Amino acid sequence: MVPKISLSFKQWFSSLKLKQKIRYLFLFILSIYLVFYLVMYCFLFSGYMTDYALKNNRNSLMAIGSNLTAELDNISDMSKLIMANNEVTHYLKSSSSLGLRYSQNTVTAIFDIMSAYDNIYSIFVFKSDGTYVHTGRGITLVDKEIMDGPEWRKEIYEKAGGYVIRLNGGGAFTMKRGPFSMEPGEPILSFIRQINDLNTQETLGMLVINIPVSILEGTYKDADKTERKFCYYDINNNILSQGEVPDKLKNMNVSDSPFDQKVIKNLFSEEILSYYHIPDISMVIAGYERIGYEQIISKETAWMLIFILVITGFALVLISAFISVYITTPIQRLVQSMGSVKSGMFKRVSLSLPDDEIGHLKDSYNDMLLEINHLINELIDKEKSIQKAELEVLQEQIKPHFLYNTLDTIGYLALENSAENVYDALETLGDFYRKFLSRGDREISIEKEIEIVKDYLKLQKLRYEDVFEDAYEVQEDLLEVKIPKLILQPLVENSLYHGVRLKGEKGIIKISVYLKDDIIHIVVYDNGVGMSKKQIEDIMTSDNNKSFGFKGTIERIRYYYNCEDVYEIRSIEKEYTEVDIKIPFARGEKKDVQGNDY
Amino acid sequence: MYRVMIIDDEKAIRSLLRITIDWEELGMKVVGEASSGIEAINTIEELNPDIVFVDIRMPFMDGIEFSKLAIKRYPQLKIIVLTAFNEFEYARQCIGIGICEYLLKPIVRKEIKKVLQKIKEQLDAEERQECDEEIPVSGLSSIDKIKDYLHYNYSDSNLNLTKVALKFGFNASYLSRAFKNETGKSFVNYLTECRMEKAVQLARKGKLMCEAAEEVGIPDPNYFSKCFKKNTGKNYSELRKKN
Repeated sequence: MVPKISLSFKQWFSSLKLKQKIRYLFLFILSIYLVFYLVMYCFLFSGYMTDYALKNNRNSLMAIGSNLTAELDNISDMSKLIMANNEVTHYLKSSSSLGLRYSQNTVTAIFDIMSAYDNIYSIFVFKSDGTYVHTGRGITLVDKEIMDGPEWRKEIYEKAGGYVIRLNGGGAFTMKRGPFSMEPGEPILSFIRQINDLNTQETLGMLVINIPVSILEGTYKDADKTERKFCYYDINNNILSQGEVPDKLKNMNVSDSPFDQKVIKNLFSEEILSYYHIPDISMVIAGYERIGYEQIISKETAWMLIFILVITGFALVLISAFISVYITTPIQRLVQSMGSVKSGMFKRVSLSLPDDEIGHLKDSYNDMLLEINHLINELIDKEKSIQKAELEVLQEQIKPHFLYNTLDTIGYLALENSAENVYDALETLGDFYRKFLSRGDREISIEKEIEIVKDYLKLQKLRYEDVFEDAYEVQEDLLEVKIPKLILQPLVENSLYHGVRLKGEKGIIKISVYLKDDIIHIVVYDNGVGMSKKQIEDIMTSDNNKSFGFKGTIERIRYYYNCEDVYEIRSIEKEYTEVDIKIPFARGEKKDVQGNDY
Repeated sequence: MYRVMIIDDEKAIRSLLRITIDWEELGMKVVGEASSGIEAINTIEELNPDIVFVDIRMPFMDGIEFSKLAIKRYPQLKIIVLTAFNEFEYARQCIGIGICEYLLKPIVRKEIKKVLQKIKEQLDAEERQECDEEIPVSGLSSIDKIKDYLHYNYSDSNLNLTKVALKFGFNASYLSRAFKNETGKSFVNYLTECRMEKAVQLARKGKLMCEAAEEVGIPDPNYFSKCFKKNTGKNYSELRKKN
């Protein structure tokens, strides 16, 4: 499935125009850029921000803790004042039978002290026998049964004068909402300590100061916000704070370690849960804080991000425009201009393009066209040359002089010779012309070519009797090989007119055909006057009529086989001439031909 | 009777001309033939024709070259070109050098007769100015000088009566007659004999015929061979083989 998708994506992408490709590429780069930037920000900056938030959180907790400590120190001071009060001491030391006067005085004394402090709800002073005096701003119910339980007292004894703080005095004290209401009022914190004799350290009684729980909330009121909540636990993991407490804070596990922070990472925010054991007070302040990314990313950074993105986008647009103006558009124009080649018009592109790679491309293209045109012209020229050469040979040969001369010769035969000889001559003449013209084919088998030469020489013998003899030595298996038409006859004609006849003695013209080293050799030998070195050199360059037949023939062979080395002339002056035509032998034509070493 | 000479490298053509035309009826007579320009220019002196049929394409000396030389020597000579080449360039050259007629092969008797009749009328109209000059006595010693000259210069293929006459200050036809009177041989025959004497020496040295022909001033080996046989009674190759 995945390869299939990637394949079709590839196809889709490669089918796009260059311009579109660049656009998509830029879009891709932009997205990558954005994602990279965000990820970078989240991992680096948010980590940093979290650290900062944690530190902040810890400081808040500690500040709150010290607020509470200060608050409790006040209460502790007050409790010391009460314990040191003479009236109270007297009351505690008096026997229970003493009358109300003592207790009245004691209450007054306590009330005086209490009025110097805020936030005190009620104060109880118990004697060892369980009687007590109390004063307060409202009514506090006392459950003496709970107070008599050993569990309730155990901790207080153990503290030996130190204070113990319990919510609602561990159930022994309850604020009454109003004089006539039976409903419990606001929860209270009970500050309980044992009163000992200053001199004997003997236990005299017990002091309980009840404070409304709201005193706790007062310690973190300033720090409390919607994203930031606090609450107090006692050492038994009971929540002391009243009011709204987030669930996460409620369900937090508070362990024995004095301080702990826990970070919960969410997709778009982080939550910090922390707690702190307030030293010397058996209470824990716990905090909950939620940090959204909107807080992490400051306005400035957001602006900077946007600014960078805009700059980047602008740069990409600029590059895209540049590519479009300087690359894709010129290429498109070039392609349009080059399109004419499809319709067979090899026109040069004459656009004004910048002198850069694209301009060079245009120049190279034009050069290529020039070269192509050149090659085409060359091909046409070559083809024309071949045709011209063929035509010239034909004209030269068909030009009726040979026919006319031969006709006169035959005419003489008719008058002076037997009818049979005349018929023979006419037959040869007809045969010669039929083969010679050979339906306009360009190729002809060696066998036919030799037959043409035989006929030709037979007719020439009638004209120039006793001038020459002809001989043939042909490798039989080469007879079927095709060669360009009429390459042999002009050579033989040369042998006759420029070789043998000039010698004044009876000569011989010999034609051999053989295969050697994959080259077919067609050799025309005559023992005529031969050629000088200069004549051999000049034969291909001079323009005179004598060399014409030879030159045209060689040129035709060269064009035909696309090969320069197609002939060799061997000659000794006054002795012989041997023209060796070398034709490359195509292996495909070989069939049953066997190499023959001559 | 007007004298006719036929020059063609093909024996068949020469023979055909001889036998197809009724020469006597035209008041003419074929006095000789030549198979090349070289042979013709050497024998024309002796044959002394009024009319010459000449082919253009011949080895060593073509018809046009021959005609130039012949007309220079015999301005009143009527030359008929008979060729298979119907080429403008040939025709133009022929007119330029004063050739009478340009006929094309194959031979058409009617045409030839017509042309011959026309020429005959011209010839009839022209008064043949025979110069019957006296043979100066002083010339006799000159003949010896000329003979010496020929012995030294026989290898020059351009050597001919007119040229020699010019050199020694004679009229050509006068020299011709004087030479024959003095030596009993025509100028051409004497020159050929000189050449053949030398040729025999060359043959004995084993020279190839075409080399010998060139050396003795007869660049046409066919004509050379003919002359050799006529003078020595033997073929050149026979004589050469003997050595």
